[in-house]
Formats: sequence, C-alpha cells, structure tokens
Amino acid sequence: MKNKLPSILLLFLFLFLPNLVIADSPYVLPYPSAMPGGIVYKIHLAWEKLSQYWYFGDFGQFDYNLKESDKYLVEAKTLFEYNQYLLGYNALQKSNMYFMLTLPDLETAKNHGKDITDKRILLSQAADKHIEILEKLKMEVPLTFTWQPEKSNATVLNIKSLIDFGIGIRQKYL
Amino acid sequence: MKKIFFTIYILFLIAIVGFSYLFIDPNLIYLKHLYTGFAFQKKLYTTLIFIFLLIISFSFYILFIYLYVRGKLFKKDLIFLLSVSIFILPFSYPAMLSYDIFNYIATAKVAFFYHENPYIIMPIEFTHDPLLLFMHAANKVALYGPLWILLTGLPYLLGFGSFLLILFLFKAFVILFFVGTLLIIWKLTKNTFSVLLFGLNPLVLFETVISGHNDIVMVFLFLLAIFFLRRNKMILSLILLLASILIKYASLALIIPFGYLFYSYFKNKKISWDKMYLLGAGAMTLVFFLAPLREEIYPWYFTWILAFITLIPKHKFLLLISIVFSFSLLLRYIPFMLLGTYFGPTPVIKILVTFMPIIFTTFFYILYFLFKKKSLFKIK
Repeated sequence: MKNKLPSILLLFLFLFLPNLVIADSPYVLPYPSAMPGGIVYKIHLAWEKLSQYWYFGDFGQFDYNLKESDKYLVEAKTLFEYNQYLLGYNALQKSNMYFMLTLPDLETAKNHGKDITDKRILLSQAADKHIEILEKLKMEVPLTFTWQPEKSNATVLNIKSLIDFGIGIRQKYL
Repeated sequence: MKKIFFTIYILFLIAIVGFSYLFIDPNLIYLKHLYTGFAFQKKLYTTLIFIFLLIISFSFYILFIYLYVRGKLFKKDLIFLLSVSIFILPFSYPAMLSYDIFNYIATAKVAFFYHENPYIIMPIEFTHDPLLLFMHAANKVALYGPLWILLTGLPYLLGFGSFLLILFLFKAFVILFFVGTLLIIWKLTKNTFSVLLFGLNPLVLFETVISGHNDIVMVFLFLLAIFFLRRNKMILSLILLLASILIKYASLALIIPFGYLFYSYFKNKKISWDKMYLLGAGAMTLVFFLAPLREEIYPWYFTWILAFITLIPKHKFLLLISIVFSFSLLLRYIPFMLLGTYFGPTPVIKILVTFMPIIFTTFFYILYFLFKKKSLFKIK
C-alpha cells in the first residue's frame, strides 16, 4: 500500500487538478462599477454613449464592446447576487449584446489588413471567463422570475434561458 | 580668422552628422546597409567621441557669444551660422540620443494608417508592423496633445508610406517650427544676441535639429501667443496658448504668467515684459523639476526654459546657469552610452552630471562676486 501511495496521489492530481486549472481563464474581469438606481449610474450611461465615439477604429470598437460586455457581466452577477433579478436580467442582455459585436469588429479589422491573432486569443480568453461566470450564475439564480410592476401586467423573466443564450454566444467565440 | 572658425564649424557639423550614424539601431531594416554596430560594441570610444563633440560644440557656442560680445559677430554671420546648422544637421540619424521620433511616427501611423485612436490603441497591438522592431515605446498609448497628433498627419501622409521619407519629413517639420521660433525671438527682442543664444545653443541643436523633439512646436506656439499678446490681440493669444498646451501639456504652467499679463492688462497696469519672461521661465522650471514624478528629467525639456531665458539676456547669472545646464543635461546621455543600461549606477551618475556643474558654477560665481565684485562678462 505504501508503494502505491505516490501513484494514487499522482492519479488524484491528474484527475482533479487539471480540471480546476482549465476552468480558470487568465482573463481578468473589472471590479463592479456604479449600480442602477443612482445619479452616478446615469452619468455612467452617458459616458458609455460618449466613449463609443472615442473608441473609433476596428480595434477601438473591439476594445469598447469587450470592455462594456465585461462591465455589464460583472454588473449582472452583482445584481443577481442581491436578488435584483430585473436589473440583473437587463445587464446580462446588454453584456450579451456587446459581446456579440466583438467578433464582427475583429473580422472588419482583418478585412482592413490588421493582424488580429492576439485580439482573437484575448476574445477566446474573455469568452472562457464569461462562460465560467455564467455557469456559476446558472446554479445560483431561479429558472424564471416574475416581475410585477406597479399598475401594469406581470412579466416573466426567463433568466436561465438568457444565461444559456449568453453561454451559447460565447461558446461560438471560443 | 572668422572664416577659418566658420569653416571648422561646418566641418564639425558634418562630423556630428557622421557620428550620429554610428547609433543606427541593428533592427532598423531601412538603414541596414549603414549599420556598423560601433556605438553598441565600442561603448567607451563612442562615449569619448561624444564627450569630445560636446566640448567642441559648447566651445563654438561660447566662442560665438564671445565674438558677439566683442562686436565681431554680426547679423549676417549669425544668419550664416544658423543656416549651415539648419541645413547640415538634419541629415543626421535622428535616434542618436532618443527614440522619440519613432514614437511620433508610430503614433501618426496608428491614427492615419490604421485609423485607430492612438490614445487607446498602442503600436504594439499591430503585431508584425516593422516599426515594432526598433521603436522603444511600443507599449504606450499616445503621450502628446491631440493637436500634435493632428499635425503629424502632414509629414506622415506626405511620406507616402516610405519610412525614410517620413522620418526626414518629421525632422523637416520640426525644423520649420525651430526657424519660426527664431523669428519670433527676433520679433520679440529685436536682439540678435537672443537669437544666437537660443539658435546656436548645442542642446537646442541636438534635441531639435538632430533628434527632432516636438517641444519646439510647443515653444513656438507659446512664444507666438506672447507675440500677439504684446500687440493686444488677446483672443488670438489665448488660442495660441491653448494650441501650445494641446501640443504638449507642459505649457499649461504658462497660465500663471499669462494670468499675470491679463490681470495687468485689464487693470491697466504697466506690463513688465521682463517680469513676464522671468515668470514664464519660473513656471516652466517648475514643470521641468516635476518631470521625475512621471518619468525623469529629459534634456530637451530645458528648451522650454531656455526660450524664456534667451529673451532676457541681461540676466547674466541666469544666462551662465542656462549654458552650464545645457551642457550638463547633454552629459546625462553618457552613462547609458557607456554602460548600455538604465539601471545600476546609471541613475546616480545622471543626477551627478546634471547637478554638480550647476553647484560648482554657482559656488564659483558667488566666490567671484565676493572677491571681484564685478560681473563675469559685459554684454553690449
């Protein structure tokens, strides 16, 4: 048994550790920024619109869309953790929308003769990280959430479908 | 005798041009047929030659000042000396002392070739771009003002994609502003001595005509702002000051002397232009000594201060200090040239060579006054 111990230990390492390492993308997401509900958030929204023009160019637009997608994913995660499902749902929709725009930006850059190899790797890493976050969220949030606004009809938010949709987009970009 | 001096000066300028080509970067594919590797392999010899050239260049500078003070150097002589400097030195290899000109070209390329925002996208993001082989700040976004980036579109686009043409067009572009600066100094002072002090200062020639630093564009614009201010054209002056700030943010410090001028103007107080120039020199000195907070003191930053000091040559001590400081700032290149590293003893040696000559000069100047109670030299 004593002789077999190192082999068992090695087997254990091979079986479990690689999985843990692969799951962690080296891509780093930003800290949560302003959350909905305050004046600061409105300023953030205005700044977001303005900076869209500042980030001109193919790489600039790619950076902008990825940055915004990251920001809204972190926002969605934070809001879901605080059971703010409607706001979290909206944030995730925005994150998905911005993420979808990233690859076309790179394709345009490629058509303009720019080498996109490094950016493509970055996008894959980002997609990996996003999937990691979304998979975790999927286990924590309810399947659906019924939002009942005042003096209006209730809306059913298919949170899990949206997360699955988000994962699907990102898997395509891996 | 003067003709002999002038001929030696021309030969000396040609020698500087030749020396500069010893520094060609091994990765600069466009000039590979001129690459010798001398500056990188024979560091000691290179450093000794550089020190020798510095001593000779400052000897010439002092000689020209001496000839002027003695009434033996006239306006036409000065024009001749400036002309030969402006026509010969631009043929030098621009990255002898600094790689900044490559950064200017790279930033212009990001904006005008790749059509990306150089404040967001770094040159390094364009993998396989040949500029990455030899430029030294590929991992930085644009550091200069937006007006500079806009202006660089002109030499960049006129180069039609030819690197060497673009390189020398950038130099020519900067030299245009250098000539403009000399004209403004002349217009402001009507004193050929001021033009001589600035235009033939070896630090100005090395950093502007050889290295092609954009500081001269900023200097030109703020001097032009002063020129129009003297003609009571306030709005135009403010626009030019703003333009200067948008070239390089350092001239933001000039809000202090300009504020003083506007205050005096609107209060109908008599404007002391000498005081204004002193304030200008002081404001730029403040920024100069704050430079280590960001990176370090670069020799070419001193052109900001020199521009003001040369407008008031009657302040002899300031003049003396500025000449000594011009020399000591160029000595800052020596430790890297000799050791080939920015680390180890290099930073300490840089500090020593920068400030020791100033300390010694001040000490001897005070001693001189204590014992002789006379000025060092009289200026006509």
